[in-house]
Amino acid sequence: MSKSAALATKTAFTPEQEAQLVAWTKKYPYTNLGLIEALRSVQDWHRQMTPAAAARVAEIFNLPFSHVWGVATFFPTFTQWKTGAKRVGICHGLTCYLAGSDKMEQCLSKTLGVPKKTATPDGKFSWEPMECLGACEQGPALQVNDRLVGKATEESISKLKDMK
Amino acid sequence: MTKILTKHFDTEPKFHELEAYRRLGGYTALKKALGMERKAVHDEVTKSNLRGLGGAGFPTGMKWGTVPPEDKLPGPRYVVVNADESEPGCYKDRILLTRAPHQLIEGLLIASYVIGAKDSFIFIRGEYQNQYDILEKALAEADKAGLLGSVKIHLMRGAGAYISGLDTALLETMEGKKAWPRQPPPFPTVAGLMAKPTVVNNVETLSMLPFIVNEGGEAFAKIGGPKSGGTVLFSISGSVSKPGLYEFPMGVKLREVLTACGGPLPGRKLKGVIPGGTSMPPLMEKDLDIQLDFDSVRAAGTFLGAGGMIVLDDTMDAVEIAHNIERFLTHESCGQCTPCREGSNWSERILHRLLDGHGEQADIDNLSRVGDNITGKVICALGDTVGMVLKGYIGRYPEDFKKRVKQNG
Repeated sequence: MSKSAALATKTAFTPEQEAQLVAWTKKYPYTNLGLIEALRSVQDWHRQMTPAAAARVAEIFNLPFSHVWGVATFFPTFTQWKTGAKRVGICHGLTCYLAGSDKMEQCLSKTLGVPKKTATPDGKFSWEPMECLGACEQGPALQVNDRLVGKATEESISKLKDMK
Repeated sequence: MTKILTKHFDTEPKFHELEAYRRLGGYTALKKALGMERKAVHDEVTKSNLRGLGGAGFPTGMKWGTVPPEDKLPGPRYVVVNADESEPGCYKDRILLTRAPHQLIEGLLIASYVIGAKDSFIFIRGEYQNQYDILEKALAEADKAGLLGSVKIHLMRGAGAYISGLDTALLETMEGKKAWPRQPPPFPTVAGLMAKPTVVNNVETLSMLPFIVNEGGEAFAKIGGPKSGGTVLFSISGSVSKPGLYEFPMGVKLREVLTACGGPLPGRKLKGVIPGGTSMPPLMEKDLDIQLDFDSVRAAGTFLGAGGMIVLDDTMDAVEIAHNIERFLTHESCGQCTPCREGSNWSERILHRLLDGHGEQADIDNLSRVGDNITGKVICALGDTVGMVLKGYIGRYPEDFKKRVKQNG
């Protein structure tokens, strides 16, 4: 058994998830064009990247494990640590930094009760500084799961916990 | 005030919907273009002096002209929309995608017609999930109305890497690889996506096409400066009382832009203006009366970039600013070229030492030396930027750096 196959046997994708991964191989004019989207799906489901998951994706895309793991560890969206179900990002690009993003980082740490890149014990939240989120006019910008929330303030951060 | 892209933004809240867009003349340019020879549409774009508004400022008509004709190189060719906006200071594409998705789709369909693309792509950064949803909805509307014709428009998301916004790195990302920039030639118009001829254009650039087709290239050229046609969007932030998106004719004076957005803030003194995103060194007080177009800004020692304007004032420190930018570039360096991978990291550490109060004069000299050893010695513009930013800030604000040198060290 190849290394990739050995890793893949330990993976737990549901039949629906397997079908979604196969669908990504067929969505675009070339199979590999769906790889980043497939890995995005994996990150959504598992909230992290594991060698086992990447190995199964490699099998489905008929790519070497090393290729998929290389991609999975290159892009900041994919993490080897487990994010919270709500992945909170605070922008620390120049405008947001000048507008006080470091204070808002402290506020997030205090409000959610965990340091950056660490999920809360119930798995609901994690937070991390992110590079420019393209919302400089609302800096320091706050986002949750790839959606802009708006300006980070003590008030907007305290409301995060009420998010469904 | 001449506005093209944002003309209806203040008066039509539903401009993002097909009904409102068509009511205000949307998709008439597509119809007109489809009734013209492809070459005639291309000629109008060339005449318009439209320049790439994603940062590089390359003439769009000229870029299209480098795609090999079908009889010389048969097979598929593609148009890719670069919606991977991630340069700190830039958010114009986010607002265009939110407010005017059909304007982009119409522009993309016009470009696809000229290039002969049957598959076109919109590559959008993953963090713009709200805008992805808007595009998905707009594409469904356009499809239902039969506007897409024989062109299939594919949506695709990135995964958080700034470097994916560089055309060749974007193509690598689309192909499911690490976003390592390619060393041209060949350029993407000859060998791009899956080695097929590919035009990569920015959201703002393509959104200009409906106006150019409807009004003609000359009308567009007349709005702007001598070699940069039409209007330009500035997404403004920093020390301003009215941050937001502003549209001006190309060649507008910096002074006029600052007056419109209320910068710097009352009681503060202007320190500089980053014209196009943090990769571009700032313009200074003496540049207030230069014209903001690609060539004039370049003559002033920096770049117009992607219009991400950040106004700096005297409460801000150049070493802190340079450190923030270098930290960003270090994080986003893809690691392919050694000078950038190592040099960005060194420069960040040296700047950190200066901020920590342990800096020496030799550190400032070393920063310049490190910069010189990166710029021009790497594949892509990110690496060039590492050196440009260092020299840019040390050269413009030497006193801020001197203040950080340990006095009795």
